[in-house]
Amino acid sequence: MAINLVKGQTIDLRKNDKGESFDLSSVTIGLGWDVRQSRGGGGFLGKLFGGGGEEVEYDLDAIAFLLDKNGHVANRGRTFQKPNGNKINLYEGDVVYFNSMRHPSNHIWLTGDNRTGAGAGDDEQIIVKLDALDPKYDRILFIVAIYQGQRKNQHFGMVENAFIRAVDNHGKEIAKFSLSGDATYNGMCSMKFAEVYRKDGTWKFRAIGEPFATDNFLELLKQY
Amino acid sequence: MAINLQKGQKIDIGLSKMTVGLGWNPNEGTGYDFDLDVSAIMIDGNRFVPEDEFFVFYNNVDSPDGAVHHTGDDPSGGNSDGGDDESINIDLTKVDGKIQEILFVVTIHEAQPRRQNFGQVRDSYIRIIDEQTGSEVCKYELGEDFSIETAIEFGRLYRRNGAWKFEASGVGYKEDLAFFLSKYFKGQIIK
Repeated sequence: MAINLVKGQTIDLRKNDKGESFDLSSVTIGLGWDVRQSRGGGGFLGKLFGGGGEEVEYDLDAIAFLLDKNGHVANRGRTFQKPNGNKINLYEGDVVYFNSMRHPSNHIWLTGDNRTGAGAGDDEQIIVKLDALDPKYDRILFIVAIYQGQRKNQHFGMVENAFIRAVDNHGKEIAKFSLSGDATYNGMCSMKFAEVYRKDGTWKFRAIGEPFATDNFLELLKQY
Repeated sequence: MAINLQKGQKIDIGLSKMTVGLGWNPNEGTGYDFDLDVSAIMIDGNRFVPEDEFFVFYNNVDSPDGAVHHTGDDPSGGNSDGGDDESINIDLTKVDGKIQEILFVVTIHEAQPRRQNFGQVRDSYIRIIDEQTGSEVCKYELGEDFSIETAIEFGRLYRRNGAWKFEASGVGYKEDLAFFLSKYFKGQIIK
């Protein structure tokens, strides 16, 4: 359990502090970031694994956990064998991620597509039809992980200008939070980025920014 | 009739409904707003917050038992002209049986990066008001008593022989809200 002292990080998704109201029939959660080039900051191992000053590919993944009232991911899906023989776990369960991009309800999915006007600047997007979501889902937790970050010596201390935002059905930005990477994020390869949760008959949006060393979201899933 | 508090002074509250009011004037000079926060830490017999929700502050405005309600954050002191800018309403008849004490603290948000202290804030005070009559029970003038501090333990309501009493603590620290919380909360604190 954690208490978040960061201010102004909870937003009523129906209306913002200006009293503007929003259409929540579908909300886009967009994530964006820039990568700071570490000039040999990775030390010997960093250079060995390409963490030096050259252009490095970062692969950040957005993941959504759909939680029930007890804070559990109730449906962990099934194991699915692709035609090429690769096995996929958590398929079509309450975890939306790169191998299971569309929730079976069709009410939440990961686009990975950056071409819509509403989402300019988002590197990853998860779209949620909040109003249509089954009442058994009480909370959606958004996680970002650096794919193979630990092996590649890539971590959130190198990520700059990270933000998470919520955009309503008409493309109106409801809220945007910045997460400034600092030394406390060094060596951290995954993060509980934000969540939307039901409260008093509406949905609220909260930025979290809690980092973890693991680059594997399955480690975080163990908590749920 | 207001009592200007002495440290360690104990008061028989004799009220079931009261409001802890925090007031200050906005920064009219240059620089950042003064963002004062009042929070209530509800602790059990082991002197710990039993669940997250028993810490009532700007991100959690209601305790689960309905006894404590924070009226919301004022980030600048502009909510009221001369009156309370942030308030916590308390109904002692509703307090969960496992809660033995309610501590009230006042902190300056982001005091360290903004290089602020209570000495810079004009007309800041914290007080207790009797909700029935609207009269002031007791009051601290913060700027005079805690000029170089950034965090104050105002006082605590505690159960004694089935009745609630109030003890004025009046201890100031060069600390933040997380400092108080970490004394009474075992979970993770995100700053």
